[in-house]
Amino acid sequence: MLLNIPLTQYLFYFLSFVALLCGLMVVFSKNPVHSVLYLVLTFFAIAGHYILLNAQFLAIVHIVVYAGAIMVLFLFVIMLLNLNHDSEPHKNMLLKGAAVLAGGLLLMVLTGSLKGAETLAMHQPLNTQVGLIKNLGTVLFKDFLFPFEISSILLLGAMVGAVMIGKKEIK
Amino acid sequence: MNASNTPFDYFPLILMFIVAAGFVVFTMVVTHWLGPKRKTKIKLDTFECGIESKGNARVPFSIKYFLVAILFVLFDVEVIFMYPWAVNFKELGALGIIEMFSFIALLLVGFYYIIAKKALTWED
Amino acid sequence: MNNILLQSSIQVIPINWYILLSAALFTIGALGVMFRRNAIIIFMCIELMLNAVNLLLVAFSSFHSDAAGQVFVFFIMAVAAAEVAVGLAILTMIYRNVKSIDIDLLGNLKN
Repeated sequence: MLLNIPLTQYLFYFLSFVALLCGLMVVFSKNPVHSVLYLVLTFFAIAGHYILLNAQFLAIVHIVVYAGAIMVLFLFVIMLLNLNHDSEPHKNMLLKGAAVLAGGLLLMVLTGSLKGAETLAMHQPLNTQVGLIKNLGTVLFKDFLFPFEISSILLLGAMVGAVMIGKKEIK
Repeated sequence: MNASNTPFDYFPLILMFIVAAGFVVFTMVVTHWLGPKRKTKIKLDTFECGIESKGNARVPFSIKYFLVAILFVLFDVEVIFMYPWAVNFKELGALGIIEMFSFIALLLVGFYYIIAKKALTWED
Repeated sequence: MNNILLQSSIQVIPINWYILLSAALFTIGALGVMFRRNAIIIFMCIELMLNAVNLLLVAFSSFHSDAAGQVFVFFIMAVAAAEVAVGLAILTMIYRNVKSIDIDLLGNLKN
C-alpha cells in the first residue's frame, strides 16, 4: 500500500486547516465583505467535514441554508448599509490584548479538560446509513415531532418580528 | 460493514468542484497571459454609457429589498424539514400529512400576516 | 479498494480531534465577539460558534451511530435563521436611526 496514512486523514487535516484559517480571517480582515466571504469558505470546509462524517444530507442542507441564504443576507445588509469600506474605529490595544488573552485562555481550558478524557470508541458495527435523508426523516417525525411543530411557531414569530421591525417608517 | 455508502461516493462531486474551480483559474490566467495589455486611464474607467462615471458603484439601495431577503431566509429553512418528510411520505402515512399540514398552516398564518401588512408590496 | 482509499473519518480520526477542532472554532468565534466593534462581524462570529457546536453534535452523532444529534442540528439551523432574520432587521433599524453599527456607540442608546 502506497498510502500509509489514509486519504481521509489528509482530507481531515486540510479541511480543519481551511476552517480554522478562514475563521481567523473572519475576525481579522478589515473589510466586512471579505469577512463574509471567508465565513462562507469556513462553512464549505465544515460541510466537507460533514461528508467525511457520513452526514450527507446535513452537508447539503448546511450549504443551502448557511452559505446560500444566511450569508447572502449578511452580504446584503453590508451592501445595504454601505459598510464595504473600513469604517470601524479600532478598539484600543489594551482591549484587543485582553480579548486575545481571554480567547487563548478559553482554548487552553477547553483543551486541558479534554486531556484527561477517555477516547470514545467507534460504535460497532459501523453504520454509514445514519446521515441519509430517510433515516433522519424517521427520527425527525417520530421522536422529534413536538420540537418540529414548535419550530414552526419560532419561524412564525421571527417572521412577525422581522416585518414589525422592518416595516417601521422613520419620521 | 456496509460499503455501499462511504464518502468515496462523493468523489465525483469533489472532481466536479476541482474541474469548475480549475476552469475559472485556468481561463483567468490564460487571458491575462495571452491578451495584450494597453492600459490607459480612460480604458480602466468603469463603463457607464459613455458618460463619465461618478461615485461608488456600491451605493446603498432601497430598504424594500431587505424585507424580501429576510423573508426568503425564513421560508428557505423549511426545506430542511420538508425534504425528509417528502422522502418518508409513504411510511409516515396520514399522521405525517397531519403533522406537515399543521406545520405549514402555522407558517401560512405568518404569510397571511406578511400579506396583510403589505410587507411585500412595492409602493414608493 | 474504495474503503481503503477513502474511509469514513470516524474509522481513522479519533473523536478527540473533532472536539479539539470544535473547541478551536468556538474560541475563534468568542475571540471575534470580544475583538471587534462592528455589530455585523460580531453576529457572524456568533454564527461561527453555532457551527462549532453543530460540528461537535454531528461528530458525536456519527460516532454513536445515533441520528438524534443530526436532527438536533436541523433545529439549531432553524433557530439560527430566525435569529439572523430578526437580528439583522434590528441592526438595520439601528443603523437608520444612529447611522452607525459600532457597539460602543450602541451602549449609550438608553440616554
